[in-house]
This record gives sequence, structure tokens and C-alpha cells, in this order.
Amino acid sequence: MSELETARRLAHGALAALEQSRQRIDDLNVYPVPDGDTGTNLTLTVRGVVEALDASSATDRQALAREATRAALMSARGNSGVILSQIVRGAAESLAESNELARAVRGASDEAYAAVRKPVEGTMLTVIRELAEAAEAARPLGPAELLALLVERGEEAVARTPEQLEVLREAGVVDAGGAGLVELVRGLAAAAAGETPTPPAELPRVTVEAVHLEPSRFRYCTTFVIEGEGLDAAALEPELERLGDSLLVVGDPSALKVHVHTDDPGAALSLGTGVGTIEGVEIADMLRQTEERDERLLAALPGGASRSGVVAVVAGDGNRRLFESLGAERVIEGGQTMNPSTADLLAAVDATAADEVVLLPNNANVVLAAGQAARVAGKPVRVVPTESIPAGLAALVAFNGERSAEENETAMREAAAGVVTGEIAVASRDATANGVPVRNGEFLALLDGEALAAGAGFDEVARQLLDRLLAEPRDVLTLLRGEGAPSLEGLLAELADAHPELELDVHEGGQPHYPLLLSAE
Amino acid sequence: MEEQGLTIPSELGRITIAPEAIAQLVGRVAAECYGVVGMSLRAPVPARERVTRLLPKGKPARGVVVRNAGGAVALELYVVVAYGLNLAEVAATVRSQVAYEVERLTGLRVASVDVHIQNVKRTA
Repeated sequence: MSELETARRLAHGALAALEQSRQRIDDLNVYPVPDGDTGTNLTLTVRGVVEALDASSATDRQALAREATRAALMSARGNSGVILSQIVRGAAESLAESNELARAVRGASDEAYAAVRKPVEGTMLTVIRELAEAAEAARPLGPAELLALLVERGEEAVARTPEQLEVLREAGVVDAGGAGLVELVRGLAAAAAGETPTPPAELPRVTVEAVHLEPSRFRYCTTFVIEGEGLDAAALEPELERLGDSLLVVGDPSALKVHVHTDDPGAALSLGTGVGTIEGVEIADMLRQTEERDERLLAALPGGASRSGVVAVVAGDGNRRLFESLGAERVIEGGQTMNPSTADLLAAVDATAADEVVLLPNNANVVLAAGQAARVAGKPVRVVPTESIPAGLAALVAFNGERSAEENETAMREAAAGVVTGEIAVASRDATANGVPVRNGEFLALLDGEALAAGAGFDEVARQLLDRLLAEPRDVLTLLRGEGAPSLEGLLAELADAHPELELDVHEGGQPHYPLLLSAE
Repeated sequence: MEEQGLTIPSELGRITIAPEAIAQLVGRVAAECYGVVGMSLRAPVPARERVTRLLPKGKPARGVVVRNAGGAVALELYVVVAYGLNLAEVAATVRSQVAYEVERLTGLRVASVDVHIQNVKRTA
């Protein structure tokens, strides 16, 4: 048999097994979104591969692997289909080089894990990884025997998924994608052995619990049975729909089971008594479930009662908004020519709700006053002696309100030290700074506070500063444009051309005296 | 941020959720979406008010913009996707996963989720 014929036979086997189980896998689907289409998506993805192989005239393995990979990519449907397309890619690329099946399963697993930043365990990913481990641990076996073993190991891995993923446990189901993957392997095993796939053991059915995973704004979970003659579920559904959500009406013309989440269970029951007799009425108050959801919500969100707060001295409306959006509790207007007093700083410290405070002076002239305020304040205050707004931003990014001011000080000092800052100021008199002569009204570039270059042309001075800031490879360049500053369009275009990998983060800072503030990290 | 928090009415008073908190949540969900290997800081135009983008590397709210659209949440995500994946399908599942989790965890209605694939990266 040619390689192409073998590949076709295996792919047809996988498709047949998936088609047999499609509906059951759809019913299991509660994660990542309970939309009941995992079985369908996997089937459609595999069907794409089968169709490509049926149309193929490939004569060597490399070409076969390329065609299968491409077909899986093009026909990938849904989350599970995309994961499967990676599994196909990993396996195909390995099989193009070697006959070793264990290596191919490992390749599939590695490729699948490579495409996600934070893999969630208890999913299809877990199952393919455990299959790879099982294949590597197995004693040498022929392909058909190894695939049969993988079906067993896969079933065990799928059975464990509710222990690994809470949403599955709550719904009382196993992972749909993992279950689908095992069906696919079952089909491959059967095809390799020259058999038709044996139908799988009964998969757990989806429960009413799964319906509860849908977000509901209604308080009472109401279920009852309507008995009568000629009951019409389709006519009843729109009327029940008006009362709430999570509606389910199933049964036959002599008995219908109704499930609905509503604030008015009485109205739902009245609809039932209007067309027949009702029994088996259960009305559950979901307030407790709602409270649990709120707890999840609170646990998922950062913040709450914070232990530490930040007081920052900032010039410019845009910069103020930036600092506030990054979590500064109080922002005091101030900077080069209007330094806040110790009393101003103390008042802001006292006004914070947090127990402890971190002060960001953001200007060399304010550092001293910040130190004095820290010494006389009525609560623990730490100063991170930032001398520029970009340095303050870098420090603020490391702030965590749940930690003490002391712990924050360490982290924030480190963060501030990790960035290189640049400033372009307008000179207010003729002077020589750090050996750089500058005239009144000219632009003066400072690198980490030291004068670097001066001149009458803004772009020219900025270019010299940017060259130094970007002398080492950097990931992100933050630019804060000052009040009345020249346009940055030209410089930004040059930067984008010269450093395509660099991320430019541009903000209207609105600070006076400094047309441009920069930081590179 | 000048955007107002999003509120959920309840019998005992309003619950307000700050856009930054939602951005954190979205970042966390996006990191678990299959195919997403990173968030991008880069927006298609020089940003003016996209302040949440400045959130740091490593923290999940990078590349997320949250807006209040008449009491519902409008989201924009700037993501980096693994090389060799079906981008349309990845974007579609990111959209549905993020919308579902935000509704589930906040009780807020999600008006829209715009997914921008800013880059494609080879990871293996």
C-alpha cells in the first residue's frame, strides 16, 4: 500500500470515529465557552484533512505532511479545531522524518503547547501531553498495538480532567476536546488494525448544572413537568423566554419538561397550567449561586482594600491621567518651577485611604521635601526618589497595593533603575551643562539627568538623544509629549522604520518646559 | 482614566467596576486563549487616550482597551498569535471566550470585543 493510501485510510478511520461521537462530544462542551460545538468543530477539521488527502496525488511523505498540515490549518474550526491543527502539524512534521510513532505524538504535544502562553490543564492539551508520555513510556510495540494502548491511556486522561479543571467538575462532565481527541485516536487505532472503530463507552451526559454555567440575571431556577395532550414546545418557548433565560423545553406532546431562570416563577407555572397540568415543580433560589459568582468576581479582580497607596508629584494633565490610570491614589501638580511644599505632600499623604504610602517626587527638586514629609507623616511613608516623570512611571508600574510600602519601595526602585530616561528641555538662559554649551531658548537633551546635546532644531536634538536611548536593543519606548511641543510625526516615522521591533507608546503628557520626556526599557 | 466605571444595579446599591479591573481580567483570560502568545502594546495609530496600554510587560492588562458603551463593556484587544494558526478562528475564539468570561465574572453585558492581531510569532 502506498504512503498516500495508508494516510487516507487512517484519516478516514479518524473521521468515522469522530462522526459517531460528534453529538455526545457537543453535549460535553462547557469549556472554554459552553456553546456545544466541540464535536462538530473537530469533525469539520478532520473532514478537511480527509478531503485534501482524497484529492492528493502526493508521492512522498514530505509532500503528504505539508498537505495534511495545510488542510488542517485551513479547515480548523473553533478552539478545539485550532488545537487539533497544531497537533496534526506536530505529528505530520515528525512522521515526514521518521517512522517512530512515540516521537510523532511528542511532536504533536510540543507543537500544541507552543501556541499558547498560559496552557489550561484539564483540557485537550493535557490529554495530548499524557498521550505523549504514555507513548514514550511504552515498551516497543507495533503501530496498531501502540495506538490501542493510547486509546486506553487517553480514556484515563480524559476521566481525570474534572479533577484538573473546576468548571468541568461543577458541570459534572469531562473535557469535550480531550474526549474528541481520544475518539480520533480510537479511529486511527481501528484503521491501523484494519477494523471499524468500536463505539466508545458511554460518555457522561451533560447535566442541568451545565446550564447554570450560563450567566443569569434571574433569581429563581424553576423546573416543572407539564402533562397534557398535543403540547407544543415551540409555541411555549417564546412565552417562557420573555420571563427569563437559560430556557430548556424538552419532551413530547404528552409531557414537556421545562427549565427556566426567572424572577417570576409563578408566571412560568401559570403558562404551564394554561396548557396542561403541572407536576414535579422545583423552584431553587439562585441567590446563593449569585453570591458565589460575586466571590469569584472579587477573587478575580485586583484591588479591594489596599494596604499601600501612591502619592505622586506630576506636571501636565495627560501625565496626571496616566499616573491615575496606573494606580496612583493622589497626584499633586508640580515640577520644575512649582515645587510642592512638604505641607502639600503631607496633606496628600493624610488624604490617602491606604495604611501606608509610597511617595514619587518625579523631580530632583522635590526629593528633599518628600523625605521631610516621610519623616513627619502619621503613617509609614517610603520615598522612591525618582527624578523624572518617566522614571516615576516605570516605578509605578511595579507598585502593588496589597504589599507594604517597604516591599513596594524595593520593587519600585528596581523598576525605576531598569529603564533609561531621556528629557528634552527648553533652556531658560545661556549656560554650559556637562560640557555642552546651550543658549537661552534652545533645546537641551538630558540622558538620565546628564546634559547630552543642545541645539535650535528640536528633531536634531531629539535624534541624538534617541540614538543613545536605543543604543542597546529595547522593547518599548515611551514618549510623553509636552505642552506646546513640536509635532512628533516625523520622528515617529523614522523610529518605526529604523526599529521595526520597537513598540512605541506615545502619550500627550502636557507637561510644561519639557517638550518631550522619554523612557526606554 | 476619564472613563467612568461600569455599574451593575442591585437592590442594595450599585456595584462599580473600574475599567482597569476589567482590563486586568481580560488580560488574564486572553493569556489562556489558545493561539495567543502575547499582548501587543502597539495600536494602529499614535495613541492619545489609550492609557491602559502602558501597563507593564508581564502584567496581563497590556494590549487591552476598555470602554463604557452605554453601560455595557466595549473591548479592544491587541494580540500576538502563534505562527501557523488559522488567524480568523483564533480571533473568533478569543472574542467569544473573552465575552463569555467577562459576562460570567462581572455580570456586565459585553457590547463588543474587537480583536486586533498585531503580530504573528514563531514559538516552536
